[in-house]
Amino acid sequence: MADDRERGGRDRNQSESASLGGSEDQESFVNGHDEPDFSDPEDYVDNISDEELLGDLLKQKPKEADGIDSVIVIDNVPQVGPERLEKLQNVIRKIFSKFGKIVSEYFPEGDNGKTKGYIFLEYSSPANALEAVRNCNGYKLDKQHTFAVNLFSDFDKYSGIPEEWEAPEAQPYKDPGNLWYWLEDAECNDQYSVIYDGGERTAIFQNTHGGTEQALVEERARWTETYVRWSPKGTYLATFHQRGIALWGGEKFRQIQRFSHQGVQLIDFSPCERYMVTFSPLIDSKDEPQAIIIWDINTGVKKRGFHCENAAQWPIFKWNSDGKYFARMGQDSLSVYETPSFGLLEKKSSKIPYIREFFWSPTDNIIAYWIPEKDNIPARVTLLEIPSRQEIRTKNLFSVADCKIYWQKQGDYLCVKVDRYTKSKKGLFYNLELFRMREKQIPVDVVEVKEVVNAFAWEPNGEKFVVLHGESPRISASIYKMSNKVELLKCMEKKQANHLFWSPQGQFVVLAGLRSMNGALEFIDTNDMTVMNVAEHFMATDVEWDPTGRYIITAVSWWGHKVDNAFWLWSFQGRLLHKQNLDRFCQLLWRPRPPSPLTASQIKKIKKNLKQYQKQFEIKDKMRMSKASKELVEKRHALMTDFEKYRKKKRELNRQQKEQRLALRGGVDTDRQDSESDVEDEKVEFFVKEETIVLSK
Amino acid sequence: MKPLMLQGHTRAITQIRYNREGDLLFSCAKDTKPCVWYSLNGERLGTYNGHNGAVWAMDVDWQTTKVLTAAADNSARLWDCETGKQLFQWDTNNAVRTCGFSYSGDTIMFCTDRQMGYNPTLDIYDIRAGEQLANNAPLLSIPIDGPKVTSAVWGGLDEYIITGHESGEFSQFDVKSGERVRNVKVHTKQINDIQLNKDRTMFVSASKDTNAMLFDADSLDHLKTYKTERPVNSAAMSPRMDHVVLGGGQEAMQVTTTSTRIGKFDARFFHLIFEEEFGRVKGHFGPINSVAFHPDGRSYSSGGEDGYVRVHYFDPQYFEFEFEF
Repeated sequence: MADDRERGGRDRNQSESASLGGSEDQESFVNGHDEPDFSDPEDYVDNISDEELLGDLLKQKPKEADGIDSVIVIDNVPQVGPERLEKLQNVIRKIFSKFGKIVSEYFPEGDNGKTKGYIFLEYSSPANALEAVRNCNGYKLDKQHTFAVNLFSDFDKYSGIPEEWEAPEAQPYKDPGNLWYWLEDAECNDQYSVIYDGGERTAIFQNTHGGTEQALVEERARWTETYVRWSPKGTYLATFHQRGIALWGGEKFRQIQRFSHQGVQLIDFSPCERYMVTFSPLIDSKDEPQAIIIWDINTGVKKRGFHCENAAQWPIFKWNSDGKYFARMGQDSLSVYETPSFGLLEKKSSKIPYIREFFWSPTDNIIAYWIPEKDNIPARVTLLEIPSRQEIRTKNLFSVADCKIYWQKQGDYLCVKVDRYTKSKKGLFYNLELFRMREKQIPVDVVEVKEVVNAFAWEPNGEKFVVLHGESPRISASIYKMSNKVELLKCMEKKQANHLFWSPQGQFVVLAGLRSMNGALEFIDTNDMTVMNVAEHFMATDVEWDPTGRYIITAVSWWGHKVDNAFWLWSFQGRLLHKQNLDRFCQLLWRPRPPSPLTASQIKKIKKNLKQYQKQFEIKDKMRMSKASKELVEKRHALMTDFEKYRKKKRELNRQQKEQRLALRGGVDTDRQDSESDVEDEKVEFFVKEETIVLSK
Repeated sequence: MKPLMLQGHTRAITQIRYNREGDLLFSCAKDTKPCVWYSLNGERLGTYNGHNGAVWAMDVDWQTTKVLTAAADNSARLWDCETGKQLFQWDTNNAVRTCGFSYSGDTIMFCTDRQMGYNPTLDIYDIRAGEQLANNAPLLSIPIDGPKVTSAVWGGLDEYIITGHESGEFSQFDVKSGERVRNVKVHTKQINDIQLNKDRTMFVSASKDTNAMLFDADSLDHLKTYKTERPVNSAAMSPRMDHVVLGGGQEAMQVTTTSTRIGKFDARFFHLIFEEEFGRVKGHFGPINSVAFHPDGRSYSSGGEDGYVRVHYFDPQYFEFEFEF
């Protein structure tokens, strides 16, 4: 065939009438004429290559190697007998010809006359085969048959895996050190972070010597760009930067982990400290949700990203107590996700129309949420158990204007503060719906409060709660207890307070009038309802209890008030222990402690033996006091001796200059006049009163 | 003992001074009329009338015969202490900020501000000339380039003048040559007040940078620092005990942000050597602008932004209080 073509080409160069095809020799002899010789001369070399002339044809020339790469194997094909084979073949062709021209197909048959259930298809090119694999692998032909499509060459690849498994190279372990070293402090002193100098400096202090001394643990300039946050158990310190978050910890506060999230503004930790949620209002693309990212803290890996539709309240994702679930509220739904898969629980959200607010119980896997009144359906509060999604308790509420949910720290009680419209719809009155979580059927007690409720707080570890109600200046604090009925223990009137701070261990509460109320403070013991102390930290903006409930810090932050920036340390009884002024002091946060590993019975035992421990502590305290004063005294002694030396020199010099002084003042010895020994008592008479007495006639 | 409250000024007090024997207390204020009082009972003896502007500073000579005042009406004036008659007036081209008699009482110095294109100058005059004062030319007129002088005192044996500047630095000027002999910068903001101790070997300085410091008067060595959290307007050393009293307040702009409750502004007492604060005396309704100890150390006075001068006599406990060392 090539020869003919060649000749044809040459003929074109010479004459038009030359005939094509056929063997020249035969033709010439048949006609008897001498046909012109169209064959190439012996040494002719063609100047056109095969590829150039016949490229497209050559491509289709069957090559041995090609065949394998273009072949796909389809498994899970229905096994059919000869009568249905053609139908099957048509169906297969229809499905698979979409990806390219099927060059050949092979339906192997088994001994029973039916097809074996797998077929081979050859495409004209490997690209087609790849497409077919990508698109049809997992294709559901019918209920029982889902195609498994693979490249034929893959089989080779997978069977060629070496028998010996080589372990991957071990990365050197970066030991972050003892992350909980601060808990081992012998004196059980707590640490706290302080940001001052307008944000330029961040320091970690330790509260030592019973509150009288603040020891500096670590201080760095520009450690964070905005503010800092501790993780819930106190293991990490998170600092904010333009590029993301950094976590620091261990004895030297080394950087443990870094998370890249451009423009991050807010973060939240899961209570178990395994995960961290970051939010940045900046970049967000349609396909790669980037507004909210959830990270695994130990590995630093990004687990999942979410969009942030509306600027709702942070934290948008709320975690349950052990970090197993996290939930978020949508317009009409509640989505619960589970870890570590980070997928939706049971792949669906709960549809809850108009859901307003939800909170996890701090200890159980229960979510409390409320829905406002709509279309004649009353508002209600529901307790939902996860993962069963069972509504374990609901309560309908009528004429509701607003609700606020408050869980008690141990999850024993739930309070929903309900603002209700009066019958005339003009005024508001207030109810507290108190759910007793630990009792069967979760009974609800209702307490009505006549005045506007400003603040509400449960006692941690206890059964009491405090309500601040009323309008300034007649604000009252009422303390209730959840005994068999809800009983009002005491109502304290005329208080200057707008915030409540319970000690994290319960029993003691501080009523604070922050910011506009000029920092009025009252320290109350709720066991006997006494006011232990009334004090003031003028213009205080924040109050923070330490995690053990021994100390309180009140602070005037530069962010709130430009002068007198300082923090004051008080004992839980309201005794002022220490004042620390810091230039442009901004934020103070106590380092949280992980929950105590002691069991309830162990704690009981310790409380019983408290008297013994008390003796030990008192001895320790006495020693500490005397040591402190001894140090101070020694320091002062040193200062005094130094100064005396200096003064002696000066006095000597002064004496030498006496002559000159006398001369300056014309010989008058004012030195002697001014000295003590020449003091004489002088009687001075003052005119006091003048009285005229008229002597009678 | 209850403090004496001297009401006589209608504007904020700028400086108060005791005379050498301590029986008279002089005060000047922004209301143009300096006053003189009996320090024993607070009775006012009289005023020195003549100035047309706020009187920034005043001094009395060691014999209590003459009074020197410096005012914002571009003049420094010399008065007869007893009669109140103006003896002489020096006109300057700027407000006069500080003034002082030398130890001998023969020479005076005063410093002017920097305004309207004029540089501040430190002028030294001899006042012995009597009637010839009219022709008096300054003994020395030292121009100050750089930050202006905000407070100044005569040093030691009248050989030099110590100046405190707006920048927080101190300079020592030799009286004979007019040269700046020494320059030290320890404070970071304006020096508000400089007061010598009884034997004139040390001085304490009050600065806007919330610190007061103790220096050696001859070498300008920094000896001690007394820290507060508010700008310090004035500081004085007790002639009797090792105590320093600091009076301060805050920026005039920010006065309303401090508690307006009665008498929240306080004078603070520090131990001279240990630098520890041991007492506060409340009572003023505004920032304290000037403090001074009575020469016998049994009382002290403070003048405030509220226009009142308070004279405090110490209780016996003050003298018995001791730091353990």
